[in-house]
Amino acid sequence: MTWLFFQAVVSGLLLGGVYGLVASGLSLIFGVLRIINFAHGAVMMLGMYASYWLFVLLGVDPYLSILLTGPLFFGIGVLIQRLVIEPNRAAAEHNQLLITLGLALFFENLALVLWQGDFRTLRVSYSGASFMLGDVLVEVPRLIAAGGALLIALALWAFLRWTDAGKAIRALSEEQEGARLVGIDVARMRGAAFGIGSACVAVAGALVTPFFYIAPDVGESFNIMAFVVVVLGGMGNFLGALLGGFIVGLAESLGAAFLPGSLKQLVVFALFVIVLLLRPQGLFGARGGR
Amino acid sequence: MSDSTLKPIDRRRFLETMGAAGAVTLAAPAFGRAQVREVKVGYILPVTGPLAFEAQLALNGIQQAVDEINGAGGIKSLGGARITLLPGDTQNKVELGNSEAARLIDQGVTAIIGPFSSLVAFSVRQVTEKNKTPFLLLATVADNVLEGGLRYTFRMQPNARAMATLTVGNMIEMAKAAGTPIKRVAIMHEDGNFGTTMGNHVEAFAGKMGYELVQRVPYNLRSPDFTAELSKVKAARPDLLLISGYYGDSKIIAETAGKLRIGVHALVGLANAAYSNPRFIAENRELTDHLFDGNYWHNPQSPRARAVFEAYQKRFSSVMSNHGVQGYQVTFVLKDALERAASTDREKVRDAISKTNLTDHILTQDAIRFDEAGENVNATPALLQVQGAKPVVVGPARFVEAKPVFPVPKWKG
Amino acid sequence: MAGRLAIAVGLAGLVAGPPLLPKYVLEVLISILFFAYLGASWNILGGYGGQFSFGHAAFFGIGAYTSTLLFLQLGVSPWLGMLAGGGLAAAFGLFAGYLSFRYGLRGPYFSLVTLAFAEMLRVVAVNWKAVGSSLGLVVPRRGSAPLHFVFAGKLPYYYVILGMVLGALAICRAIERSRMGYALVAVRENEDAAEAAGVNALATKLSAMAASSFLTALGGTFYAQYFAYIDPSLTFGPAISIGGLLPAIVGGAGTVIGPLLGSFVLTPVSELTRAALRGRAGADIMLYGLILILVISFLPNGLVGWLRGRRPAAGRAA
Repeated sequence: MTWLFFQAVVSGLLLGGVYGLVASGLSLIFGVLRIINFAHGAVMMLGMYASYWLFVLLGVDPYLSILLTGPLFFGIGVLIQRLVIEPNRAAAEHNQLLITLGLALFFENLALVLWQGDFRTLRVSYSGASFMLGDVLVEVPRLIAAGGALLIALALWAFLRWTDAGKAIRALSEEQEGARLVGIDVARMRGAAFGIGSACVAVAGALVTPFFYIAPDVGESFNIMAFVVVVLGGMGNFLGALLGGFIVGLAESLGAAFLPGSLKQLVVFALFVIVLLLRPQGLFGARGGR
Repeated sequence: MSDSTLKPIDRRRFLETMGAAGAVTLAAPAFGRAQVREVKVGYILPVTGPLAFEAQLALNGIQQAVDEINGAGGIKSLGGARITLLPGDTQNKVELGNSEAARLIDQGVTAIIGPFSSLVAFSVRQVTEKNKTPFLLLATVADNVLEGGLRYTFRMQPNARAMATLTVGNMIEMAKAAGTPIKRVAIMHEDGNFGTTMGNHVEAFAGKMGYELVQRVPYNLRSPDFTAELSKVKAARPDLLLISGYYGDSKIIAETAGKLRIGVHALVGLANAAYSNPRFIAENRELTDHLFDGNYWHNPQSPRARAVFEAYQKRFSSVMSNHGVQGYQVTFVLKDALERAASTDREKVRDAISKTNLTDHILTQDAIRFDEAGENVNATPALLQVQGAKPVVVGPARFVEAKPVFPVPKWKG
Repeated sequence: MAGRLAIAVGLAGLVAGPPLLPKYVLEVLISILFFAYLGASWNILGGYGGQFSFGHAAFFGIGAYTSTLLFLQLGVSPWLGMLAGGGLAAAFGLFAGYLSFRYGLRGPYFSLVTLAFAEMLRVVAVNWKAVGSSLGLVVPRRGSAPLHFVFAGKLPYYYVILGMVLGALAICRAIERSRMGYALVAVRENEDAAEAAGVNALATKLSAMAASSFLTALGGTFYAQYFAYIDPSLTFGPAISIGGLLPAIVGGAGTVIGPLLGSFVLTPVSELTRAALRGRAGADIMLYGLILILVISFLPNGLVGWLRGRRPAAGRAA
């Protein structure tokens, strides 16, 4: 079934782009703060609601909304890090993990309280747009999401590589003490890293609103995928997360096309376990070791 | 409305809500008939938690029915006894379902209505059976909830088997009449209890009903993309695609199926949470046009149904949903049983329910009657199609509001 | 001394009290003990061993499905099926544990791999018709058949879970004071140093894994018999994994009484928040999440750690 194969490849790559952006944020957070952020998906969900309300109340196109939600969630991320995560930075790893879990519960149910559990959808003029590449369907909103995700992730990579603040963050993820010794305001950079990670994932959320739906638990599916991608790409390896996103998207989509039942999830987890066991530094190597 | 519905209704509330229900006659002033009995009826619903929205819709229906009954003089055979509704919140959790049911039974309810989730129902039915309390199922679709020779559990709505077989049967009939027969059927369903049950029935009845199941695709309902799954379906070249899913996933599937030019005569929901949902249709006009759905519905031909809808609109400022219809009707099934039992004794009420033969109702079926297991023998889902941005009944024949559009060109390849 | 008295009084209350309690309080108590049991079982690997598993539901589900399938297909009493389930779970635990430890997974990496294993089992169960897929399995629970782990009332189930909790706590206590216990703690605190001192870290961790997974699986059978219905998401889902480890962490990981204490705090907290915030969907869990953050932030060694810290006690709480 060659058509089926190519269709699965294309859809997988498109979704993978979004996974990559979500995972980049998570990877950055892990690289710098050394915590597995279980609240990542919840922040994405909040970002989606933000874009939704901007659209419904003020008519702001979801793609344009990232100009607002990006900075907003950077700020929210910094706040969360300062208030909840920084005070506990010396705590046992598992405690920090549970704290992010508590945050996830808090945010998901905050959304439930504020906006109830019913699904919301938003429709823009190009929600229904699509074109064919030969026999293969390409849906325009998904293409824009993947393209947007890629652009933003690359922009962020450039920021990390070439700006002072970016270099400081990278230094921090490689060597905490050394970074402090050369005068980097470590606390501030940690906040910034969490802020950037949160902004990434909120923006990724905005990008999917034209074709996905919005509900309090909507971040959960992306949360799990993000963990898999981050492990695949190497914790703290930003570009690795991007590439990992494509790989996971592909694996999932091909699994859906060629495996019976809903076993596509199994493919993703199997990949996850194999990489964790055989190459825990990720396919592309991690920054700053494990 | 949500806060008030969670507190037990007191007498003063009856008086206030009387106006909305239309009937203003009160048998006697509040202090005159101190010995008028009350019938305690409990509900257990996931009023908080992820299903809160749908649960509230069902509760609205129950509430409206209770107020209508009390406003019209309560249970006549009990000397005008009023129904007191006692709340129970399951949060869609099994342990809570059990503890709430236990609590309500301790508080002396004559019957319990609920609990939505089949999972919760499995467990609660043990509690109600043990305590010999009639349990009227609401929105619980799994077939095996009534298995095991239970005496106290009843289901008014069509179960999964009826839902699947009658809906597919209706579509096959319609296709035959339109000259484009359905031979190849495919189904996509969410991989949980609900979807899998539907899938199992569609698969099991293929031979008997004269179609070939060419593809069956269970899917993870949280997935953001179903292109690969739909491509699998397209490759199997079905005449009909059935979709048993929830709101969000069903939307994505309908969207992608259209763009993929899936090549079927029609896209049909099987108890789908989206395809006959007025809000979904309003938010996705073009997408939803001519979608079919086999689902719980009210009888559009019934004048009483129209009156009930008007009353609901007035009171809740929104269109009554099928959850509300179920809630409303199941309360009246209980009322009818109470009248015939002339008692609040649980055993007597249980016997009365089992002998129900109710024709004055607002559903798309003949008389409501229960079999040995407690299933409503005549339960029939309605076949709906979205026309002119609203879901209209296109089957069964005697309830039809409009002729179906079949085959639907936009799904063709 | 006050502690011992408290424990004795508590125990007496737990044994003698329940027949006097109203139905729904008994339900809550069973729930508390159930999660305390899961916490205690998890504690062996997670608290004492320091290997933080996020996927203990894998063992729970194996236990629940094994005993139930043996009961339904072959009429084997769940009391025996329980042991089979425990054995299977221990075997799976050893397999997963061996892979993970042998490949050097520690800390969050270990947590993630256990999460993945549990999820994989869930997906397999969902797609496997022979075990009921998403329709799950209904456990016959009519009348009374004590030899088949079927009781007519709630009280017998209460005593079963009480026995299980006390047994698990006794096992934890025994482990704590044994060589294995010392080895476990040594590995937890500094694996490399422990190895250098002659401790076989791999064997130690695997023993803890075997015990922990075996006990957790028994909890799965209890669940199946008590609730009379199991399905993939109930048994293999994160609710069980998280629900089991939270009492241990909040109460005090690596302590005997921690999981019991933790469950006695957490379960009523969630009940109270639910009762207090009726009518506002999600408000209770929001509050619960907040409380969780606060408790873990301010009591990083759990309740036991906090209580011990208030006395000039010898030794650091685990």
